[in-house]
Amino acid sequence: MFEEPFRWLEAISTRHSYVQEKLKKGQPVIAVPYQYGTLMLGFSPQPGKIFELYDRIALGGLGHPADVERLRMTLLDMAHLEGFNRSEKDVTIARLLQFGIAPSLKQNFEEVVRAPYLIQLLLMEIDFNNQASFFRVNYDGHWETFKKGAVIAGDTQLSDALEEKIESTDFTSLSLDDALLKACRIWEEAKKDIADEESDDPALTLKEAFEKWTLEAAVLSTDTERRALYRSLSPDEIEKLKMACLS
Amino acid sequence: MNLLNPENQQQGDFIDLLNRSGYAWPDATGMPAIDKASLTQGTTVLAFHYKDGVLVAGDRRATAGNAIMYERCDKVIPIDDYSLMAIAGVPATAFEMARVLSHNFEYYRRSQLQSLSTEGKVRALSRLLKDNMGLAMQGVGAVSPIFATYNLKSDAPMIYFYDLLGAQFEIRTHTATGSGSPVIRGVLEHEDLWGQNPLNQRSQEEASLLAIRLLQTAGRFDSATGQARPDDNIFPIIACITAKGYRFLPEEEVASLFQQAIQRT
Repeated sequence: MFEEPFRWLEAISTRHSYVQEKLKKGQPVIAVPYQYGTLMLGFSPQPGKIFELYDRIALGGLGHPADVERLRMTLLDMAHLEGFNRSEKDVTIARLLQFGIAPSLKQNFEEVVRAPYLIQLLLMEIDFNNQASFFRVNYDGHWETFKKGAVIAGDTQLSDALEEKIESTDFTSLSLDDALLKACRIWEEAKKDIADEESDDPALTLKEAFEKWTLEAAVLSTDTERRALYRSLSPDEIEKLKMACLS
Repeated sequence: MNLLNPENQQQGDFIDLLNRSGYAWPDATGMPAIDKASLTQGTTVLAFHYKDGVLVAGDRRATAGNAIMYERCDKVIPIDDYSLMAIAGVPATAFEMARVLSHNFEYYRRSQLQSLSTEGKVRALSRLLKDNMGLAMQGVGAVSPIFATYNLKSDAPMIYFYDLLGAQFEIRTHTATGSGSPVIRGVLEHEDLWGQNPLNQRSQEEASLLAIRLLQTAGRFDSATGQARPDDNIFPIIACITAKGYRFLPEEEVASLFQQAIQRT
């Protein structure tokens, strides 16, 4: 195969299509800033979408749960070893990606005889100057950075629509409650924007989503004296949001 | 290390992860003798139950032999949101133990998506002390810690005292360790039995005042224990653990309590 570049290119192309097809039904994970930190949320049929990675880093995953778990553990190991051997201040997403998983993911994707990772990852970080950054990682190792928030979604159209809405919203001035509500509204609007008659999406409205799935949400909050900024939203907070969304 | 190798999957033990990445906890076997006078040592720390939780306090002095090396040593170290370790002995080893413990607890919580049990936390420190036995027996890496934590399952604050080999003892009332501790252990016992109130019925303020007085007392009888130096803003470290987690008393609060504590009555 490798003696014939065309066959290799074709294999890579097929691989892209295969992974994208597998990811297509994955529900989006949205990460945005708010007044006192950053917020990440997403609907899922089972827990396992949003995780704490290190003191000031959180991870959102979409795709095959086993692949998300493997990459989560890899990032977790790297972050903790780095924080222990050097300092907590040396643990940054940029370094974890650039020198850690991005090259490995690329290599994995291009070795066409091995099964590809069926994932997309979203990471958010608050640095020691309390500045927020967002990172999107693709299954082929490609990664991008964002300042105003970011999204991962199996459906490219939905991802683009959400990205546009995040870009045009000033989340940094919102309280946590307002940012949560706004992020949920954006999710619903984007779904409606791209909906067509042939869509087989099981949930198009927030009401349907709350009935069908669990909303996972977590923050990196600068409004704390704890070293670790990560906090999962409590069931009470989620219930309050649900009431606000459905009213 | 191949980062995407499935064999690298963890079970939540950070010490195992360290071992696999080439870090080894010190092993004293075959080590030459070390001049003990060149090692810094930390001294008096104490902990006791009060009304809302446990109070942990320590003086600030580090010594090497007869020399006073440092007067701003933090001997009460946060491990996780609900746990503190107070150290007497060699800071180098103690700080390393605290770092390993802290990463261990956080690594477990993040990887296993649940907190390590109190029993697991207590055993983790015991394991480090046992592994440090060689150095402790040589007298160069000896650490005598107090571990205080809040058990969220049983909704109770807990204090554990350890010996050098890692045996752990749950303390229901009070404990103290370090070279200045013998002179205040008796006071603690007396206060608990015949003081105005038993220790576990005292308010946080009453408990803090007592801790300041005890450490001042230890400093008068033990040259390795540093007394407070208000002119230089050096006061004991005082922290409390309650159901909300640990909290260090701010320096201004300790300064104010100190003025109150040292008044003769």
